[in-house]
Amino acid sequence: MPDILLRYQAEIWQAIGETFIMVGVSILAAILVGLPVGTLLYLCRKGNLLENRFVFSSLNLLVNIIRSFPFLLLVVFLIPFTRLIMGTAIGTAAATVPLSIIAFAHYSRLVEQSLLEIPKGVIDAAVSMGASVKEVVFKFLLVESRSGLVVGLTMSTISFISYSTIMGVVGGGGVGDFAIRYGYQQFQTDLMLYVIIIMVILVQMIQFIGMTIARKIDKR
Amino acid sequence: MEWGLFVIELQNVTKTFGNHTAIHDVSLKVHKGEIHGLIGASGAGKSTMLRVMNLLEIPDSGSVYVGERELTIRSKRALRDARKRIGMIFQHFNLVLNKTVGQNVAVSLQLARVSKHKQMERVRECLRFVGLEDQIDKYPAQLSGGQKQRVAIARALANEPEVLLCDEPTSSLDPHTTSEILTVIRDIHERLGVTVIIVSHEMDVIKSICQRVTVMDQGTIYETVSIEASGIPKSDRSPERFIKELKNDA
Repeated sequence: MPDILLRYQAEIWQAIGETFIMVGVSILAAILVGLPVGTLLYLCRKGNLLENRFVFSSLNLLVNIIRSFPFLLLVVFLIPFTRLIMGTAIGTAAATVPLSIIAFAHYSRLVEQSLLEIPKGVIDAAVSMGASVKEVVFKFLLVESRSGLVVGLTMSTISFISYSTIMGVVGGGGVGDFAIRYGYQQFQTDLMLYVIIIMVILVQMIQFIGMTIARKIDKR
Repeated sequence: MEWGLFVIELQNVTKTFGNHTAIHDVSLKVHKGEIHGLIGASGAGKSTMLRVMNLLEIPDSGSVYVGERELTIRSKRALRDARKRIGMIFQHFNLVLNKTVGQNVAVSLQLARVSKHKQMERVRECLRFVGLEDQIDKYPAQLSGGQKQRVAIARALANEPEVLLCDEPTSSLDPHTTSEILTVIRDIHERLGVTVIIVSHEMDVIKSICQRVTVMDQGTIYETVSIEASGIPKSDRSPERFIKELKNDA
């Protein structure tokens, strides 16, 4: 273990902890909000079960707007909103607000995309068996798209890690912030490099786990 | 043969997609207990007509009756309940590929709120009927086309439907498997007394098992005729047979 890593051990562990909190909350937001929003986008699309132009266009526009913000600007732009719901705009907890917003927008698109890949005939079969919309979603659509949903969540998680690295601007901390402050700004390039290596390993692991799960649950 | 009550009746049904009229002012009575064929060129409206029968396509105007019930005026919930009494199979089988054979059949029972215990029993019964009881834990990807269609048939039969709608059920199968599936469909008709409506563009399929056939043309009914089902051709897949047929045709 390089000396410099040992010297900053405590700070690094804390930074990793902060990253896990930020990414963890983002994943939760992706699943709890992104999955329903993506499903609704799919269902309200023209020709689908809940075809509704108003709902589709509104959600579509919202997701597009959030996704087209440069993330740094989104964080800054959301400061008043963050302060409103968290009481402060500074710190790791406050940082989870803009992250959750980009997280649900990001994942909802991937959910919509996975659902669009399901052959329409499966829905015909479900409806012909007397399934309600809710039953079509839970007993057919989510079952059939499950491996795509896992692949999407894997990709999203990796993006969330990347997004979380800039949360230093609002005192969010995390690994990225550590690398900038201790590595880059204190001219300890080797420290920055080690942190990057840690992140590469982390991303590789997430990618591997996600893909393995997706392959195991895909029986198509 | 004496025909009982009509099981399905369409009255002046019209369905358009955008500015294309798929079926126009069509009226048809399908008798209880018959095997009724629908044939016509592609685009004649036969599939749309079938899909209107369980309101998979909502007609723009006209009424659809199944038994005594008018489907077109029913509430969403009542319509869903009615659909559980109408089985349907498709050209591309439309199985849930991430569910096992058993789970595919069970899902239609779950939708009908059948108790867990009875589900297992009924799933086995239906799979036994189509000769796939031993494949219960396989996934559809591990089955042949004919086996997939038989799973779809088992799924359609699970809730003891009065009617079975078949949308080009053999069109993606080879001749041998076609005979196999037609035999299963005829069995359903004979042994379970289910009324069958079958859409196909293949004349041989229609002639082999149908008792009445409606010929469609450009979204309207050209004529409905009664025929004598010619029987399902025995298909021989031996190499000798292939050689013989090749030489005969030469």
